[in-house]
Amino acid sequence: MNASRPMRLLAAAVLFSTTSAFLPLSAAYAQDADKPKVALVMKSLANEFFRTMEDGAKGYQKEHSDQFDLISNGIKDETDTSNQIRIVEQMIVSQVDAIVIAPADSKALVPVIKKAMDAGIKVVNIDNRLDQDVLKSKQLEVPFVGPDNRKGARLVGEYLAKQLKAGDEVGIIEGVSTTFNAQQRTAGFKDAMEGAGMKIVGVQSGSWEIDKGNAVASAMLNEHPNLKALLAGNDSMALGAVSAVRAAGKKGEVLVVGYDNINAIKPMLKDGRVLATADQYGSKQAVFGIDAALKLIKGESTGAVDGVIETPVELVTKP
Amino acid sequence: MNTTVTPAVTKRSSSVSGLGTYLGLAGALLAMIVLFSAMSSHFLSYNTFTMLANQIPDLMVLSVGMTLILIIGGIDLSVGSVVALAASVVSVATLNWGWGIFPSAALGMLCAALAGTVTGTVTVAWRIPSFIVSLGVLEMARGLAYQLTDSRTAYIGDVYGWLSTPFAFGISPSFILALLVIVIAHALLTRSVFGRYLVAIGTNEEAVRLAGINPKPYKVLVFALMGLLAGLAALFQVSRLEAADPNAGAGLELQVIAAVVIGGTSLMGGRGSVISTFFGVLIISVLAAGLAQIGASEPTKRIITGAVIVVAVVLDTYRSHRAKRRG
Repeated sequence: MNASRPMRLLAAAVLFSTTSAFLPLSAAYAQDADKPKVALVMKSLANEFFRTMEDGAKGYQKEHSDQFDLISNGIKDETDTSNQIRIVEQMIVSQVDAIVIAPADSKALVPVIKKAMDAGIKVVNIDNRLDQDVLKSKQLEVPFVGPDNRKGARLVGEYLAKQLKAGDEVGIIEGVSTTFNAQQRTAGFKDAMEGAGMKIVGVQSGSWEIDKGNAVASAMLNEHPNLKALLAGNDSMALGAVSAVRAAGKKGEVLVVGYDNINAIKPMLKDGRVLATADQYGSKQAVFGIDAALKLIKGESTGAVDGVIETPVELVTKP
Repeated sequence: MNTTVTPAVTKRSSSVSGLGTYLGLAGALLAMIVLFSAMSSHFLSYNTFTMLANQIPDLMVLSVGMTLILIIGGIDLSVGSVVALAASVVSVATLNWGWGIFPSAALGMLCAALAGTVTGTVTVAWRIPSFIVSLGVLEMARGLAYQLTDSRTAYIGDVYGWLSTPFAFGISPSFILALLVIVIAHALLTRSVFGRYLVAIGTNEEAVRLAGINPKPYKVLVFALMGLLAGLAALFQVSRLEAADPNAGAGLELQVIAAVVIGGTSLMGGRGSVISTFFGVLIISVLAAGLAQIGASEPTKRIITGAVIVVAVVLDTYRSHRAKRRG
């Protein structure tokens, strides 16, 4: 009995992981024969930002239910790349007319997107831009609808720089380092900080999460006692940084900025514990993506410049 | 057969709670502190100590619960999700229903204990490995957390802040509570009949049954206790972060299991010590803080942390072999 136990366990684990992999986390089907079918493939629906995006898309579909059908899918967490690939494959099989996708990985999703385009499906890229070199190597052109994360981060950084003086030490808490968004936001923060003559003493990943952001912020505050500001790649990590500042007894001495403008950050903006964040209108992104996809289906021009349809990013500060 | 139970138990458990083990773990901890102090200018400081004291209470109580579970030969992979579930319940009760902080906290801990009870009951009733049951509970608890919070991070504010606010020497009530949990668990494990039974169940469950003791209620109780401690850990997190993040604690179970195993508790059951686990928590936490302070990159952090776990387990097999030969 003891010998067979590990095997049974393994079998059960395999069974469990495969069944869960083939059940998309959230699938809302609203189908009709003649209307175009648009599939929205999201990243983590556990993340508030993508939920807002999905809600926006669903609301838009309800208003325009005579024009298209929407199938919306998400993955378990933001690093669940293989599952997202599987979802795209399912969408190809179910013969949708267009796919609007927020890729979990800017490179790994390209092959399956090529497969979709080869099958005649129009693809629009939102949120996290696909890697241009990889797209070129496959001779693909996928229009990107979304904000310029680097520009947004630079806006936040420049606002922060006004409160600091040249030579001040600052630290950057990056999202998941392999994602394009995280890299772009870090680059935008760096542009602003270096432009204003600040000294960046560290860039470390907080994996987009509150607790990991907290741990990294604590370590930075400890290692660099003269640190004057922490720039977080998203608001969750900014929340973690705020509590690290408090725990280090440096409330009011270290400024914190974030990105995304989630609800939980609002009280902190109000009392100044977070100086600024950026709003890139998550709900509109999916809607703009769907619009572009519908235009592609009809054969109209999307109005893209160099393959990019830029959506607005705004600086949000104390209300 | 039942005559062999008692001596086997005493022999094996003594090998892990001995002074030598503590000295070995303390030595490893000291070596790490010396190493990081040499590599970073601000590691060896009062601030590092207060930072760690502020950060580790949740890991401390979770690791105590996991130690008991490993001792009875089980495992609980759901702890990270249960922490998120409890935090979500607390946030909903406080924010949406306007409950006071103590009723909200109690409800959160109750839900967490319930999750543990479910894992324990299913494991025992159908004789399914707790590995797979807790994997299911992991998914359910995470899903519930998302459902409750509508997948949104909830800002709770500092109503629970007092739990993690230091009152002297950087020590907060949550750290004291966590220490208290360790002391009580250690006393239970080494000085009470209950503790003896747990070790006996992990060593040879069949023998325990033949000795006329029904191991089932004890096993369920240990899982329920794990849930309760996860609820406490959630309170510590809510207090420290002033927010409930339904994504919190993803992968936390691995950190907890790593801390417990570094402390020398056997994954095969029947052998473990809460004090050693505390050293394991300190080693894992000092390692994480030190690596972050010297500015190590994410890949380096993961490689080094993984290597430390492997080395700790290898050293542990030597230790248990030696203990067996001596016996």
